[in-house]
This record gives sequence, C-alpha cells and structure tokens, in this order.
Amino acid sequence: MLSLFRRSVQARAVATTVALSSVLLIALGGFLSFSIGNGLFEARLSQVLAESEVAVIDVQNTFAASSVNDEVALQTLMNSVVPKLEATGVADSRRVALLRTPGQSGTQLLQSPISADLDTNVIGQNFRNEVRNSAGRVLYQSIQLSTSRAGLIQISPGIVVGSPVEIPLAGKYELYLVFDLSSEQQTLDFVQQTLLAGGLVLIFIIGGVAYIVTGWLVRPVKVAAEVSEEIANGALDVRLLEKGDDVIAVLARSFNKMADSLQQKITKLASVSKMQQRFVSDVSHELRTPLTTIKLAGDLIYEARESLDPSLKRSAELLNGQIVRFETLLNDLLEISRYDAGAVRAELEILDLNQVVGMAISSIEPLANKRGSQIQVELPGEEVLAEFDARRIERLLRNLLANAIEHGESKPIVVVVGMNETAVAVSVTDSGVGMGQLELERVFDRFWRADPARKRTTGGTGLGLAISLEDTLLHGGSLDVWARPGRGASFRLTLPKVQGSEYDDSPLSLPSDTISTEDESFSERKEVRS
Amino acid sequence: MTPRILVVDDDNALREMVGIVLTSSGFTPEYCPDGNQALATFQAVEPDLVLLDVMLPGKDGIAVCREIRAVSGTPIIMLTAKTETQDVVLGLEAGADDYIVKPFEPSELTARIKARLRPIASLEDSVTIGPLVLDVVGHQVLKNGAQISLTPLEFNLLLTLAQKPKQVFTREMLLEKVWGYHYKADTRLVNVHVQRLRSKIEDDPDNPKIVSTVRGIGYRAG
Repeated sequence: MLSLFRRSVQARAVATTVALSSVLLIALGGFLSFSIGNGLFEARLSQVLAESEVAVIDVQNTFAASSVNDEVALQTLMNSVVPKLEATGVADSRRVALLRTPGQSGTQLLQSPISADLDTNVIGQNFRNEVRNSAGRVLYQSIQLSTSRAGLIQISPGIVVGSPVEIPLAGKYELYLVFDLSSEQQTLDFVQQTLLAGGLVLIFIIGGVAYIVTGWLVRPVKVAAEVSEEIANGALDVRLLEKGDDVIAVLARSFNKMADSLQQKITKLASVSKMQQRFVSDVSHELRTPLTTIKLAGDLIYEARESLDPSLKRSAELLNGQIVRFETLLNDLLEISRYDAGAVRAELEILDLNQVVGMAISSIEPLANKRGSQIQVELPGEEVLAEFDARRIERLLRNLLANAIEHGESKPIVVVVGMNETAVAVSVTDSGVGMGQLELERVFDRFWRADPARKRTTGGTGLGLAISLEDTLLHGGSLDVWARPGRGASFRLTLPKVQGSEYDDSPLSLPSDTISTEDESFSERKEVRS
Repeated sequence: MTPRILVVDDDNALREMVGIVLTSSGFTPEYCPDGNQALATFQAVEPDLVLLDVMLPGKDGIAVCREIRAVSGTPIIMLTAKTETQDVVLGLEAGADDYIVKPFEPSELTARIKARLRPIASLEDSVTIGPLVLDVVGHQVLKNGAQISLTPLEFNLLLTLAQKPKQVFTREMLLEKVWGYHYKADTRLVNVHVQRLRSKIEDDPDNPKIVSTVRGIGYRAG
C-alpha cells in the first residue's frame, strides 16, 4: 500500500483529495447538524413556553374562580387539572404534575395529581427551588426522559416547565408540565443520517472524480515515460500521439521534437562512426598493395646492402626496419577496426594456459635476450585449463611481455599463472620505471604512450594495450594494472574458465601497498571489466 | 628452361616488382593486369604456376581461379589483402592451392612458389590404395582402370596419405609435407583440399572410404 503511494501519483492525488474533502464534509455536516438541532429545539421551546403560560394561567384561573370549600371538592378539582392539560401522542406528548410546595404550615391533606406515566424524579430539586422562587414566572429546563417502549428503554430529550400555583385552602403548589422532544430528536436523527449517507456518497463521488481526472492527467505522462523507456532501449522511431492544443499536446509535441532531433543526431553519429570504421578498414586494405611493393623493393635493396655506400647501406637498413613497423601498425589498425565494427569472434578451444604462456615467452625470448631481461616463470604444477582463443591470448601475453621488457630496465620480469574454481589468470610484473596515476588512467588509450619523450626501441604501435583490452573483453575477462613510479608495473589478465560464466575473484593478487601509505594515490588500480 | 609464372594483378608497380623478385629467383614472369583477360593469357602462356590477386577489376580473382581450374590443374597461389575467413575459404574452394597475405616478403613468395613446383619424393613408382592406383612417374590416378584428373596438389596430398596407409596425419604434418610450411599455418588449407580430393576420388564424398577423418587429430588413408 505504501509502495503504491510512493509509486503512483494518481493514488496520492486521490487519497489527498478524499482526505481533504472528508475533513471539510465532517465540519460542514457537524455545523449543519448542530444548526438544525438547535433550530428544532428553539422552535419547540417557544411553542412549549407559550402553551405552558396559557396552561398556568388557565389552572390559576380555574382555582381562583372556583368556590369549593370542602376538601373532597378541591381534590376533585385538582385531579381534573391533570387530564385537562395532559396530551398523549407520539408527536406532541405532554405530562403534568401538580406538586405541593414542601415546608408549608398545615398538614398535607390533599393528594398531588401526577400523570400516570410520569416519573417525578425527572424534575430536579434545584429546578423546583428555582420555580418556587420565581415569583410567578414560568421557568424551563432541558431534561432527559427515559421511556420504555416495546421493552426497550429509550432515552429522549425533553423539557420540563414549571410555575408556582396558589390553590385556595390547600396552599402553595407547583405546576409542572413535561414535554417529550423525541419527535424532534427523530427529525434530527433523520437529518443526521441523511447528512452522513449523503456525505459518504459525496466522498465516493469525489474520490471517483479525482481518480478519473488525475488518471486523465497522468496517462499522457505515463505514456511519455513508457515511450522514453522504449527510446532509451533503442527503438528510436517511437513517438507520442499529438492530439489537441492543450498543455499535454504541447508536451507531446515537444517530446517528439526532442526525440526527432536525438534520433537525427544518433543516426548521424552512427553513420559517421560506421563510415570511419569502414574508412579505417578500407585504408588498411588499400595500403597493403603499395606496402607489398615497397616491402619487396626494400627487401631486395636490403639484401644487396653490402655492395652499397655506407650511407645508402644505412638507409636500406632504416627503410627495412620502418617497413616492418609500418606493417605492424597496419595490422593493429585493421584489428582495432574489426573490433570497432563488432566483427570479431573468438575461436574458442579448451586449452592449457601454461602452454600458451610458454609459447608467448619463447616467441619473445629473442627480444628479452637482446635487452638483457630475464623472464622468471611460476606455473602451477597442474594443467590450467580454460576456454579461450589461443591466438588472441598468446598475442595479448606477447604484448604484455614486450611492454614489460621495454619498460623493465633489464630487471627480471616475473610471469605467474594461477587458477581457482571459476577463473584462470596470468600476471606479468616488471620492476622497471613504472607509471604514475595519470599514466595509469590512460594506459589503455589508443596511440597513447607512457612518455612521449621516452625512447622507443621495441617499435610498439601504441595500439597494443588497446587491442589487449579488446581481446580481454571479448573473452569476458578483466585486465588489471598496478603501477608505481620507479617500482615497476604489473598487468594481470583474468579469464573465466568457461566462456559466458561469471567468476568472483582473480586467482592472483596484484602487489599490495603495504610499504608506503603516502603514495596511496599512485596505488589505485585501474580495473576494466566487461 | 626456367618455370614460367603468370602474375595476374592490376597494380602495375606490384606486378613489376613481383616480376623482378621472380626473375632474380630464377623464374620467368608473365603478366596479366585484368581479370577478364586472365584465362586467355593463361591459355596463351601455359604457365607452370599462377599468382592471382583476389581483388581485380572486371572479373575478381575467385572467378578467375574457378575458370582456370575448370581447364587446368596448374598450381594457383592467391595474393590477398584480406585475412577474413570468408575470402580465404572462397578462394580455396574455387581451387586455389595456397594463398599469401599482403604484404609479403620476397623469400616467402619464392618459398611458396618452389613448394608448389617441387614434385613430392617417392620411392615407389606406383602406390595402391583401395580401388586407386597412383602412377607416381606419370602423375596419374586410376580408379578401377579409369583415369581421375587431380591437380598436382591433390595428387601430392593423396600420395602422402597413401604412402603410409593407416597412419594418421595431423593437419600440421600435412601442411609441412604437402604445402611445405615449416611453421604454423592455416589448417583450413588442409580441410578444404581434403574435401576437394574426396569429391573426386570417393564414391560418396559425405561418407568417405579412402581418405577418412580421425576426429580431433587429422586424416588417414584406408
């Protein structure tokens, strides 16, 4: 329920509307109910008082005009008062009591006549005292009457009106008239029930209207959100329906305009990027034919260099070296363009990583020997089987080794192979010049060189690590680097044992930074994972 | 007489340069700059080997290769700028014996040509395998007395397998013995040519009896 509120604007709007209108309706209903109740009471009261005054005067006159002088006749006269004033009806019930004022001299000889179904307890002593001291005025008090109807005790409001009456021979009496207001109460109850029912119906209607109206307002937003999602997922030509001239239509139009211009830009960029990839690929191919001629010619000249002048001989040697470099560069460019075009597929086999490491090392050994770099290998005692493309992984390792040799300052290079349940790994670590933080961040960038001023002797193309990274990602693996200036660099390749499967940790760890915490900023690892 | 090599390539500089390399290695180069004229030139020159560029104006190298193969078993080496699987396989299936990826070195070119021109060494004059009789001297194959026309490469491949029946040859071994590669080369060469050979000598190429595949290792005869 709570999450529905968080998620749905509509639910929130409906709930708020219903809550606010409920509060207003309760206040309004209370006020109406109070006013109506009050009005009913006041109307009845004035009627009651008028009737009472007439009755009191009537009774007073009756006794004053009578000429009874014996007790029996007086009692009869008094008894006649009650039925005369009494009224029994559901709508207009009136009870009567003629009570003798206590504390008078003389004995109580006469009975006080009281309506049969009147409980005199409803006439409070305080009220009786007030009536006694009222000097002939008619007083009233609101009371509660309990009537027993059909076995049920019902409490209903009532009014008791009292006035002192002087009865000759008998002394001071008080005349009380008790009026039942249950019919007014019924009217009020009915009004209240009607108000309540009406209020409930109204709240439901308000809720429904709020639901419909907000739904009507929210729907375009919802549709816009769905369409945005679709566009984000690549369906670039999905659009909103533009209808009318209201703010929602304006939203739809602006949205569509935005989508149009985005689509144009994306399409343009995609075609530019595709053209660029095609261009790189075409250039690499087209350059091959002239390069072949140059290479053949250069080779013939190079073979005959001994018979040339020293300067021509040196030229032939330089030419030969640069042709080789040119060719490597062209191959790397072509390879990168294949990756960019998404045209690369790994030729996967289950192989022993140890063997591939061995092949890479033996092919790089001439270079290592030339530079005086010793390569130390730590292999596990068992086969390290994993699924990978041997040609690419060997090329990748050769590249890491060539880098280590180039930047390793002829210090030993350590190659470690490891495996766990889910992954295999190779790390190539040198103790050479290393790299700083800024260099680390750009190490996989194309044509980026650790130090532009540094002498390059192994003829790398500047694409090696970029291709290595692509090869790694092709295998769903990761290529991590650790490096610190002056302390060397370590590259770690981790591959899943089975293609398409996940792995948790690399079986090998990169050097930790326990030696100095001051250089922490340089020890940050750059991790690239697909 | 020195072996005649027909160079089919539209690039003037490369054609001339290849010619220089060939001449200096003791071959006689002949030239054709256009795919459309390639077959006519081939028939006029009657070369011992054809160097064929894949990308040619007019007819492309693969079509030219198919045309030449239809009339002759002369060794064909494709020159390709692409190493993409599709081009190489198409070229081989069209009947090329071998391919060289541009840019190549002079030594690589002459080594590949010499490997294709060199006859395979055999101690016997005739080898029998199943229903086939290989006439080593006459470079002929008879199946139940009827002659089967094989290219020199196919003949060499069959002879190599047939000289040691029952022995399994890996693709690498065949690349070395038949194609003359001494380093790791493209094993698709072997696959494609075994298929072509089977289609000529087997009764049912899909269910080979003479040259059978040993799964995961290579091939053997018998």
